[in-house]
Amino acid sequence: MKLNERSVAHYATCDSPADHAGFLRKRVERHHHHAHHHHATSYQRRWFVLKGNLLFYFEERESREPVGLVVLEGCTVELCEAAEEFAFAIRFDDAGARAYVLVADGQAAMEAWVKALSRASFDYMRLVVRELEKQLEEACKSLAACRKSPRRSSSSGRKRHLSNPALLPLQEKPTVLENGYSTWGTGGGVPAGAACTDRDGGHAKPPPLPPRRRLAAGSAAGSPAPSLSPAMPESPVSPETACFSKLHSWYGQEIAALRREWQERQKRGDP
Amino acid sequence: AVLKKRLVKLVVNFLFYFRTDEAEPIGALLLEHCRITKEEENVFSISFVEEPERKYCFECDSEEQCQEWIEALKRASYEFMRRSLIFYRNEIQKMTGKDPLEQYGISEEARFQLGTHKQ
Repeated sequence: MKLNERSVAHYATCDSPADHAGFLRKRVERHHHHAHHHHATSYQRRWFVLKGNLLFYFEERESREPVGLVVLEGCTVELCEAAEEFAFAIRFDDAGARAYVLVADGQAAMEAWVKALSRASFDYMRLVVRELEKQLEEACKSLAACRKSPRRSSSSGRKRHLSNPALLPLQEKPTVLENGYSTWGTGGGVPAGAACTDRDGGHAKPPPLPPRRRLAAGSAAGSPAPSLSPAMPESPVSPETACFSKLHSWYGQEIAALRREWQERQKRGDP
Repeated sequence: AVLKKRLVKLVVNFLFYFRTDEAEPIGALLLEHCRITKEEENVFSISFVEEPERKYCFECDSEEQCQEWIEALKRASYEFMRRSLIFYRNEIQKMTGKDPLEQYGISEEARFQLGTHKQ
């Protein structure tokens, strides 16, 4: 599977600040055909960088390119009952996807990573943004209602934030937007709401959130606090996340192949 | 340049593309630090900050569909959402005097700080 790897590597290493970074030990996952040999579990120390919903890892802190990428969508982050202390795991809803078992240096580091990773998904960010967008609209309305002769009228007050050139108004778009062709071949997995483009435009009442977030949506309508509490609801199965597990496998294999080539050249004494 | 028909899916900040009869994607584009540009009729392109002359071009069936995709792709990056959040948070704070993230217990999160994340 192709990827714009140069752009990905650029994003990973550019000076835009990371949401979290540090050394972690990553459990080495054996391929299935090795399963009949009993290998001791081994770990590799890697430099991890979290930016947005992407977790990159590098061989060294100074490496110029990541050796791996984990897309943090449709996953849960949980403490791990592994033999190692301070271990946690990133597990995906997609049954075929590999899990990532990571080990931190201590209790504080482990807790900081679990917290940072739990809030890293795009969906979570979108939830918070929608909530704030609603709050801002309400604040504008009540401000306009309070003022008898406003310095700015309520309509221009609203326009001011909507016309900010750095910001386009968020509309209620579903997660998946297609060009009208039939969906994703596995059949039955995609909820109808997610498969269709939104024809109502930005002014209609927001459609109900798809089932994966119904718990959060229900509480957001009434009292917002529970929906954004640190304990994230379970992510249900999402067919789109199968794309990401393929991306993870691709990335690992490509890098492994490159390194084997490099090692062979080293052995031969090639320049 | 040859145009190939593809099924294209926007999922969070990734654009996946498939051959129309296949379930597995042929490829993906991470949509961070990218620019979406309207080209000629029905066509838009995606290019990236570190290689601006390399354009990924897409031809749509109609101008309307083209605009729809441009709008969706411009909002698709995580960094765009983060900027939106910081903007809304700041505006609400100015208008109400309160930090809207406090009630959720996430006001100290690095990812939501003003000035920490530029551009």
